[in-house]
Amino acid sequence: MNAVLFRRIAVAVALGAATSLTSPAFAQKAGGNMIFAQGSNPPSLDGMVTSSQASRNITMHIYESLFGYDEDIRPMPILAESLKISDDGLTYTIPIRKGVKFHNGKEMTAKDVKASLERYRKHGATAGLLNPVTSIDITGPYEITLKFAKATPTFLEAFASPRAPAVIIPEEETGKDPGKIEFIGTGPYKFVEYVPDSHVKLAKFAEYSQDTRFKGPDGFGGKKTAYFDTITFRIMPETGARTAALEAGEIQGNEQIPVPTAKRLAGDPKFSVYENKRWGFLTFIMNLKQPPADNPKFRQAVQVALKMEPIVGIATEGLFGLNHGWQYPGTTYDAGDIGKNLYNLGDAARAKALLQEAGYKGEPFSILTDSNTPEHGKSAVVIAEQLKAVGINAVINQVDWPTALKIRLQDTGWNGWTLVMGIEPYMGPVAVVSTLSGPTTHFRQPDAKLDELYQELITGKSVEERQATFKKIQARLYELNAIIKIGDVGLAQATRSNVKGFKTFRFPRLYDVWFE
Amino acid sequence: MLRFLISRLISAVPVLIVVSLVCFLLMWIVPGDVASEIAGADATPQQIAQIRMNLGLDRPLLQRAVDWYWNLLHGDLGRSYLLNRSVTDAVLERLPVTLSLAAIALTLAIVLGVLLGVLAAVNHNRPLDQGAMTLALLGLSMPDFWFGLMLIVVFAVQLGWLPTGGFVPPSESLVGWAKSMTLPALTLAFTQMGVIARMTRSGMLDALGQDYVRTARAKGLSGGQIVFVHALRNALIPIVTVAGVMTGVLIGGAVVVETVYSLPGSGRLIVGAIQRRDYPIIQGGLLMTAGIFVFVNIVVDVLYGLLDPRVRHGR
Repeated sequence: MNAVLFRRIAVAVALGAATSLTSPAFAQKAGGNMIFAQGSNPPSLDGMVTSSQASRNITMHIYESLFGYDEDIRPMPILAESLKISDDGLTYTIPIRKGVKFHNGKEMTAKDVKASLERYRKHGATAGLLNPVTSIDITGPYEITLKFAKATPTFLEAFASPRAPAVIIPEEETGKDPGKIEFIGTGPYKFVEYVPDSHVKLAKFAEYSQDTRFKGPDGFGGKKTAYFDTITFRIMPETGARTAALEAGEIQGNEQIPVPTAKRLAGDPKFSVYENKRWGFLTFIMNLKQPPADNPKFRQAVQVALKMEPIVGIATEGLFGLNHGWQYPGTTYDAGDIGKNLYNLGDAARAKALLQEAGYKGEPFSILTDSNTPEHGKSAVVIAEQLKAVGINAVINQVDWPTALKIRLQDTGWNGWTLVMGIEPYMGPVAVVSTLSGPTTHFRQPDAKLDELYQELITGKSVEERQATFKKIQARLYELNAIIKIGDVGLAQATRSNVKGFKTFRFPRLYDVWFE
Repeated sequence: MLRFLISRLISAVPVLIVVSLVCFLLMWIVPGDVASEIAGADATPQQIAQIRMNLGLDRPLLQRAVDWYWNLLHGDLGRSYLLNRSVTDAVLERLPVTLSLAAIALTLAIVLGVLLGVLAAVNHNRPLDQGAMTLALLGLSMPDFWFGLMLIVVFAVQLGWLPTGGFVPPSESLVGWAKSMTLPALTLAFTQMGVIARMTRSGMLDALGQDYVRTARAKGLSGGQIVFVHALRNALIPIVTVAGVMTGVLIGGAVVVETVYSLPGSGRLIVGAIQRRDYPIIQGGLLMTAGIFVFVNIVVDVLYGLLDPRVRHGR
């Protein structure tokens, strides 16, 4: 058995018990209907088939997975009791918690777990994370065993990912096509109804099996307590209308509010305003297969020309962090000051000199952006103005999101692309670097050295080894200048002030939240 | 009348065929497809190709068109790629919201617009005329999203009389339904009212200058009878035309108001489908909207005949 990894799980449980998010100072009160507004329809409520944020907001109340991330983004057991890894790293034995009930009243067993994981292989939105697994076997009524062809030290981190979580559903639902299942999980709330463009309603699951190893919720797991009788997620696309509904008291929580509104509401005792400064990375990606960005000197010129503060400040309306790193500061894989000397320079003289070295003759530099995500469009405008100021013939091509997705997969037709990486930075270095390596890299032309470092990262045997590799990756990204880190994007949320226990997180956790 | 009706119905068929063909071609021209949307920003070309194959989007356009028309002939508009339901169900679920909104807004717009127009015409070049036309112009020029938000701020946030948005089915609560429809209908009606008021005024001014009005006055008829029975009936013909076109606008184009008030209507359904390239919903939704539009125009033609016998008798 791999003592290190086994111990890590045990420590996660122990730490969770000690540090989970309890609020002993408040007297929790059960009851009421929580109405929480979000801007988009969930594309699906079949938890494993979509990676959409709008779905995750809701499905994380309905379903649970074997493992998830704790508050500090480390893997933790949720439906798994523990994890035993063989010394050669080729066998993962996972006992599951006993007595866990599905919303249909059935007890979860290893059969449900195996069937769910097999369905994930077929229909999971990130099914590739099970690629290293050669077989999923039932080795006891409450135990499954995963076999691997080769040791994959980063498997658990990937498997615990909340992006499109490998949720456990009853075996009888697993044969159904994506979206065709009954929405039955093991979570603290059960599905009641979904009226597209109107609302999704959930109700408290009276037989919910709390994870008593913890004192309170922790990340995506922990001991979850449902206080509200029902939760209604209202779909309200218009930002102003969502704010008005919150002010009128028709809704008690709002997934996202504009920063100026957050500042206005912050001074009003009727509301509680929350800031999540680690919501995403604002990036600027260049197409290495198309001139002029195929020239490294040109890309260096772009890197030094850009002054990040106005770009990210305008794009986010003021809720941002200046961060040169490709991980959040202070997290496990934070690579320190590497690249800091090239970040947020706005050095026009140096940029012009580099453009001259690059032999740039004023060719058009087309910046692809979209109208669906405000940060994309706004940052493109500021970037274009800054590039024009150093003599780059920047033009903006603003299209809708599906068109942008289509164009960016082409080798031609675009030179730069603005993108907010949402969940990848939260999920850690592998998620970020996976989008930049291999033949499908965001910047079109794979970089052999970066690909090599990515392999080194995913096969690194210990956290320390992987930390060292990630430092090399961050250095390489600042040599390559194919993707430019603009800054960290924040998210503002608000509730009525009678809502207690709410803490901003990757999704709006509405368990362990109650009305005063 | 029956022949007239049948000829109008037959002439509607090529219109619907052209609408569906245009939809198909537009979908073919517009870049991006639902596969990229489903797969997300980090998808590989292989994943996208697999999704396209699963959805049948890799087949030639002609084959897809033939299949679609064949299914249409069997009453099947297809299945949404993203909503997990048939197009017919998805559209029919939304129509009650959109139709009730359009019906109330149209009624309000016609009643208020005609009254305002008559008031202006009868008081031609007097302060009441100028006041009424200023109000009509205000309605015409005010962006509906802004006006909608202002109504929400005043009536929902400040006074708390009405909800900020959402739809309550009449089967659930009649009062709730009326409350949920009031502000959206007022928003839509106020912008459309301006058009009707201006047309009524100009039609009434023409009619009031006609010989038959002078004759009616000479006969000693009351002012009310002259205005509402004789002049208004003649001034109504262009208003009926405008109301017909307006119905189409309200059914297909109420998307801004549906968005501001979070109403699950067919406008939002179709615009959402366009943004995410859910082709079956776009094609089916637009065809059904076009069908309603054509039907309303047939009703308008019939009303013409009732209002003006010369149309009915082909003169």
